Amino acid sequence: MFSKLDKAIVSLISQDIPLVKEPFRDLALKLGIEEEALLKRIKYYKRSGLMRKFSASLNHRKVGFKHNVMAVWNIPERLINKAGNLTASFPEVSHCYERKKTRDWNYNLYSMIHSRSRKGCLDVVRDISKKIECKDYKVLFSSREYKKSAGRYF
Amino acid sequence: MKTKLNLIDKRILNRLQKDIPFVKRPWKAVAGELNLKEDLLLKRIGLLKKKGLIRRISAGFDPRRIGFASTLAAIKTGPRDIDKVAKKINAYPEVTHNYGRVPLFREKGRGRDSEYNLWFTLVAKDKKRISQIVKLVRKYDDIKGILELPAVKLFKIDVNFKV
Repeated sequence: MFSKLDKAIVSLISQDIPLVKEPFRDLALKLGIEEEALLKRIKYYKRSGLMRKFSASLNHRKVGFKHNVMAVWNIPERLINKAGNLTASFPEVSHCYERKKTRDWNYNLYSMIHSRSRKGCLDVVRDISKKIECKDYKVLFSSREYKKSAGRYF
Repeated sequence: MKTKLNLIDKRILNRLQKDIPFVKRPWKAVAGELNLKEDLLLKRIGLLKKKGLIRRISAGFDPRRIGFASTLAAIKTGPRDIDKVAKKINAYPEVTHNYGRVPLFREKGRGRDSEYNLWFTLVAKDKKRISQIVKLVRKYDDIKGILELPAVKLFKIDVNFKV
């Protein structure tokens, strides 16, 4: 299903596209295919869910969301779906995952929370805690960004 | 850099966090939605990129769906070593994100050295490569512990800042 051409397309459009009036024309030219064919593949990736979003990535600090926390929760296995869906319903939550607990780290629900203030982040954590009825959690503030890049594929 | 955003920039930033149209002239289409001229939109986007507010405009894929493996990992390292260790980890192209993190409350009886304070994500061609990198990182002298935390289930991924 994933041809050599698909790999080349994914690799190319995972990086910043040229800021020109007809970006897909430039990209198609680079790939040696027709612009129409490229657009068709991109629509297919989107439709099938392989591609999440083709959009701008912002520097969240520079656009005002200076604070973010990772809150991790210890949720009983049988409640994880309910707690996960409730946590995901908060607009301030950008990422929400279940991950395996480990011996040294007894948390299985992970959430990234963004806000304009430190207090704003903590308010959201408190609201989630109430909603999912879980008091066993840990909050980690990000202290420094060492890397943030697009995934490199193929 | 402190940047004061005008209303047009804000509307552009909010719009561009959603899918761009998959058509020949995507900016013309977006400009139409925002009631702007295509040339002005391109100029503003160029400036927003130059100022670093927009990092890039690109497609984001679900790594697992296209046959790649991914994981979150965390390590414990001394506060004095963290910059050095972070730099070493960044050298792997498979590392996509890497953040220093500090807990709101430190656990009782635990010193600063015993916190998981460096958190990074790996996207690699397969699970084997992930294990290999984790194994290599585990051997670093300055590391006191490492967690490998692959996702079991995704509930949400939607990075969208209302500016």
